This record gives sequence, C-alpha cells and structure tokens, in this order.
Amino acid sequence: MTNKKRKDGLQATETAEPTVIENATFESTLRANLEEIRNYDGIVGYILKNTNSASIDLKDPAKIIDYAILSSTTFDSTEELSKLFNLEGIKDVIINGKNLKMISLTIENNRISIFLENSSDDDRVLKRIQMV
Amino acid sequence: MDSEVYAFALKSTLDEMQKACPEIKNAFVLDQNRTIIARDENTTEETLNQAVEVLNEMFGKADAIGGVDDLTIEGINGRMNVSRVDEIFLVTVTSRKANLNYVNTVTHVLVPTVLKLIEKLNHGPLKSNLIEPEQKLETEPENSTVEQAVESTEQSAEPGQEEEEQAETPHEESMEKIVAEPPANQFIVEEMKGLLSPSDTVRIDNSVIEKWNEFYQDKTIEEADVETFGGKSVRCKIKSIKDAKLEGQGKVQIPGKMQLVLDIKKGELVRVKPVVE
Repeated sequence: MTNKKRKDGLQATETAEPTVIENATFESTLRANLEEIRNYDGIVGYILKNTNSASIDLKDPAKIIDYAILSSTTFDSTEELSKLFNLEGIKDVIINGKNLKMISLTIENNRISIFLENSSDDDRVLKRIQMV
Repeated sequence: MDSEVYAFALKSTLDEMQKACPEIKNAFVLDQNRTIIARDENTTEETLNQAVEVLNEMFGKADAIGGVDDLTIEGINGRMNVSRVDEIFLVTVTSRKANLNYVNTVTHVLVPTVLKLIEKLNHGPLKSNLIEPEQKLETEPENSTVEQAVESTEQSAEPGQEEEEQAETPHEESMEKIVAEPPANQFIVEEMKGLLSPSDTVRIDNSVIEKWNEFYQDKTIEEADVETFGGKSVRCKIKSIKDAKLEGQGKVQIPGKMQLVLDIKKGELVRVKPVVE
C-alpha cells in the first residue's frame, strides 16, 4: 500500500493513509461477514454501531427502535455487571427471549447485535462474525 | 408454607450448589418482579443491589424479543448466567475454569427439583408464597432512555386504559394524544436520486410528516434536523417520499452532498426531528 502511494507521488503527510485503509478493510470485512450471516436461516437482522456510524438491517423496520434500545442497554448493562462480578472483558452476550434471541459482541470498537430466531444456530453465527 | 421457610429452602439450595460446584462464585434468586428472594453468602448486599438494578433495566428492554428466558454473559474471567426456572430467575456467576456441563447439570436439576418439592409440600403455586421483598427496585421510566417520543409513548401507555376507545381509534391517533415531547424518528439512509433533486431537502414517509403536523396542530412542519450517531446535524427542508417502494420502510432519502456533510452513507441510521418555530 505504501509503495502505491509513493508511486502516486504523495507527500510524507499522507503516511497515515495505510491505517485508514486497514480500518476500512476491517470494517468492510466485518460488514461483508454480517451480510453473509444475514442470509443464514432464521436471522432477523443486525445492528452495527461504532464511534462514527451505525447501520441497521432488520426485516421489520417497525422494531428498529426497540431492538436498538435493547442492544444499547445490553452493552451498557453487561459492562456494569462485568465490573461487579469481575468478569473482565466481555466476549459475547446471548439473550434468549420467548420470540427471538440476540447475540451481542464488540469487535474492535464495533458493537454488533444480531437478532435471530430461537431455532437458529448461534454458535455458527458467533464463529462467523469473529472471523474478521 | 411460610415465606421464611421458602427463602431458607432456596438459600440452602444455593449453598449446596456452591458446595457441589465451588466454581460458582455468586448465586442469587429473583422472583418475577426481579425482587431478591435468596442469595448466597459470597455476594454482598451492595453488589447484589447494583446487579439487580442493572438486570432490571436490561429486562425492561428485552420485551422486544419476548422477555428474558435465559441470559449468558461470557467474560474473559468468568461467565454470568440468568435462567428462568418456572417463576423465578436463577442467577449464577462462575469462574473461567468452571466445567459448564457440570454447573448446568447442578443448577438446572437441583433448583427445579427443590422448587417442585416446595410446591408439592405447599399444595399451591409458588407465586403466592414469595417473601416480602427484601429490596424492590423500581424500573426506571421508559422515557428516560427512550429517545423516541413516539416510541416512548407506546411503552408508557398504561395497559387497559381506555381500551375500548383505543380499539376504535387508530393506534397512531391514540399515541399522539399522549405524546409529551416533540416526536423524533430514526430512519435508514437511502440515496436521493434524480438530477433535479434539491440538495437542501430530505424525503421521508408522508405518514410521518402528517403525524408531525397533527402533533403541532397550529403549525406546518416544513423543516427538520437530521442528526447522526456521530453527532453531526443538518437542518433541511422535508418532503414526502415519491417512490412508493420506499414508503413505510423507515427510510429517509438524503441527497449525496448532504450525506457527505453528515459523513453518512446508505444503510446507516439517522434521527430526524421536526423543527417547530
């Protein structure tokens, strides 16, 4: 990547570029993984949020707010519970509800919540999303 | 059965669980109202109170997926699990080294067995025997965390209130009567196509604009603030979506230039608030 930049005759001030590109690649890989997971059987949708942006892909747009609030509350609450019970870093959170289940995890400052039907394979989803 | 005996039976169960599984560091039991019924000796009251408060908040929001039947927080140093067993919630915190199969066998067998035994001895449902709350934490009003006024009214509306009227009146109308704050909505960003599209205008569902206009009966809403999660905001004109395919999809069409200003792109989420002046 650096060579390409030099070929283009960019100045030394542009040296931060590769990091940005790496981040972009990471995020695009993450998004691609989420898109793939989105097509798994029983996946209702996902919420991806980082410091700069948030994107939501849910089958039922009417539920967006409810799911977003649940996702956000879960991240905040589990952090507190982690401190209280010395769990240290949170790897993932799974909530099984009567209607759906939600998997939440953080990857490199990206907060991800995936909503799926109870019969869906959460192990498969977790493994795939962590392959970034 | 006396409530003290019931609490004692549960506490003894928790203690026995920990004897059988020393990897269970903390354990406590909550009733359906998330009131503490029993706790082990390792868990301090302060920790417990804080944990219940946090769980209460999370449980309150979990209605979106049908409540909580089971919750697992997988940490680097341990794991926390909340399981619904009949009419109670059993909360356990285990160390990283714990054999989960063994822990699950103990918790998912021992507790239900004791509960069934108590129920049989009592000849009645457990609910009526729960002890007076040692501590009852009130759930925060939904409005405090729900940023969407429209959504918050949905949640805060008391069930059973004017049921007959609501059955006859459209849902939106009943909500608007209760709304106390300017309604804001969240939308998914969609491209605004067309060469003649004005760069200072966004398009949203006509139904949303109508709702806003009904909400502010004396005023016509012509502008709105579009806010991003990154904290950027732009005031712009609003018009209704022309593309019928996008109607009712929760989308906002934003011109490319405005997307650049807001540093957002298609598929991301923004909040749109009506401007009332």
